[in-house]
Amino acid sequence: MPMAAGGPALLRLIMRGLPILSFLLTVAFSQKMFSGDQVLRIRAKDQKQLQLLRNLEDSEDLKVDFWHAPARPSLPVDMRVPFSNLNAVKNYLNSSGISYTIMIKDIQIYTWMDNLVAEHSDLVSKIMIGQTFEKRPIFVLKFSTGNKSRPAIWIDSGIHAREWITQATGVWTAMKIVTDCGEEPVLTNILNHMDIFLEVVTNPDGFAYTHSTNRLWRKNRAVNSNSTCKGVDPNRNWDAGFGGVGSSNNPCSETYHGPFPHSEPEVASIANFIQKHKHFKALMSIHSYSQMLLYPYGYRKEPTLDNEELHNLACKAVEALSQVHGTDYIYGRAISTIYVANGITIDWAYEHDIKYSFSFELRDTGIYGFLLPASQIIPTAEETWPAILTIMKHAYKNPY
Amino acid sequence: MLARRRPAGPGPTALLLVALLAAEARASWLIRRPLSPSGPELRQAARAALHFFNYRAASPSTVRVLKEVLNGTALIREEGENIKVAFSIESYRTENSQLGTCSALVGFKDHKSRPTVNISCTPLLDQKERKKEDYKLYKQIKQLETPPFETTIPGKLGDMDPSLQPLWELAMIGNSFLMWEKTTSTSSYYYVQQITNIKKWIRPDDFIILHYRLLLHEFRTQEIISCHLHLVWHPEKPSKTQYHCQDSGTQENGSGNSEGSGFL
Repeated sequence: MPMAAGGPALLRLIMRGLPILSFLLTVAFSQKMFSGDQVLRIRAKDQKQLQLLRNLEDSEDLKVDFWHAPARPSLPVDMRVPFSNLNAVKNYLNSSGISYTIMIKDIQIYTWMDNLVAEHSDLVSKIMIGQTFEKRPIFVLKFSTGNKSRPAIWIDSGIHAREWITQATGVWTAMKIVTDCGEEPVLTNILNHMDIFLEVVTNPDGFAYTHSTNRLWRKNRAVNSNSTCKGVDPNRNWDAGFGGVGSSNNPCSETYHGPFPHSEPEVASIANFIQKHKHFKALMSIHSYSQMLLYPYGYRKEPTLDNEELHNLACKAVEALSQVHGTDYIYGRAISTIYVANGITIDWAYEHDIKYSFSFELRDTGIYGFLLPASQIIPTAEETWPAILTIMKHAYKNPY
Repeated sequence: MLARRRPAGPGPTALLLVALLAAEARASWLIRRPLSPSGPELRQAARAALHFFNYRAASPSTVRVLKEVLNGTALIREEGENIKVAFSIESYRTENSQLGTCSALVGFKDHKSRPTVNISCTPLLDQKERKKEDYKLYKQIKQLETPPFETTIPGKLGDMDPSLQPLWELAMIGNSFLMWEKTTSTSSYYYVQQITNIKKWIRPDDFIILHYRLLLHEFRTQEIISCHLHLVWHPEKPSKTQYHCQDSGTQENGSGNSEGSGFL
């Protein structure tokens, strides 16, 4: 079974209460893998029913995959049941007097977001910052414990559609923030003074296209005038050294910068949001692959005035990352570490007073590239988190 | 260590000096400079060297993966650059988690492909073990039913059916040849993302023929290039690779022969 390598690890993780991973993977998996399987939603009436559900959880033979583990009677319990065990599980539920509904199979990431907000409304809210070319809503999750406008941290993943490890890491990171807030002192402290904005699917049109048609699509799905080729590279469309040699003016190219800066709604929506907010102090843009941590500039050879501080911070972040699973990252200025690139997110952010602007390139270094196996999703997200936290902590402790 | 001499001011002594310098430049390295292990030049050289090694060794069971660049120097010549590099590697087969090191001299001609490589690596397995593993894979592939035309390895989730892994490992020999040939000094590097449309058959002389389409990711331009590759392989005899890529309008071909699995 194709999922074999990642299966057991995922299930163990689900037991630990981070069910969202399998959810995302379900969005990504083709129908064939779960054909016949059903997702049942149960609202347990009382502790007794919860216990009965936990018994189900403990039963290894039935291989029930809990997306939302039995926690409290008010919360829905979602479980994916393999086709072969459907009858057994349904009989068990019926005879225990537990009612269930069969959820629609193709759950979208937007539903996940809504559930997250509903279940943690004291911390998380969802903001629509714009609309894509194909009219999909662009949502940002806001994590905030206060009600005034606080200094803020921006994180985006999935700006390049084919970099699937990044959207998965974004989802895991959202869950991590929710889990650790109030529990883990460093994050809790940060959230007592700053807000975190997380855009998980920064390029929804491209993401949908990688599922339906072309797994290796990178750009958005803009229609270009004077060309049959579609798409603009959102990470060449920013107003920072726009249109230089580190981008292409050919609409058929993967690094096509678009007709003018911020011509793309995926980019304009973020730029406008950040500028309106006025208090962003750190920005992290998540990409893959290469295992690198980059800071400005990508478009010019000269280092920024903050080069030394950014270099040292990157060093610390990469060190924290490597402590988790021993993964090696290199770090440095974008232009000299990866390549010259014009119109990139972090250059724009830096030139708009966001000093701590970093770009991550997650696993791996080329063996699987964009097609990273599912078994590496959790380890990747786990190791990236301490690096993100290091940057956030530095921004918090070094106000400017 | 920098050895640089500046020509003196104008005058007959200067002319003589310039003439001597010109003669020396042709005879030996003019400038030698140390390179940062985390810098792009050494990584580029290490990649080119390792692709070459994997292709020439033609041993699917002991394909090596770059782990860390250790050190290196650049020796600048008239026609290009020679890079001396040492790096650590690990086996592609992570279950074995074997480590090793390689040292190589990589010659990049200015903007021309196909860097020259002189490389030696520590062995991952002893000769007998390696032969055994390669023959095991050879038998597996012989017995394997050719997967359906639309099958991709890996699948879009990076998943790989264990029964298809031997095909992927064998393809890495051909892929390494392609990636080596295309790696120039101007920081363009390549990784094969996926193979598909796989055709496999056995020749009367017992060579395995593998023919497939692959998607190559070019890092600098971020483009995806489609290529067809034809690989002729036997565990103990010299293998042969030919490919044909659709490179942004132009059609590039290449072919090569490897020395066979005796090479280390």
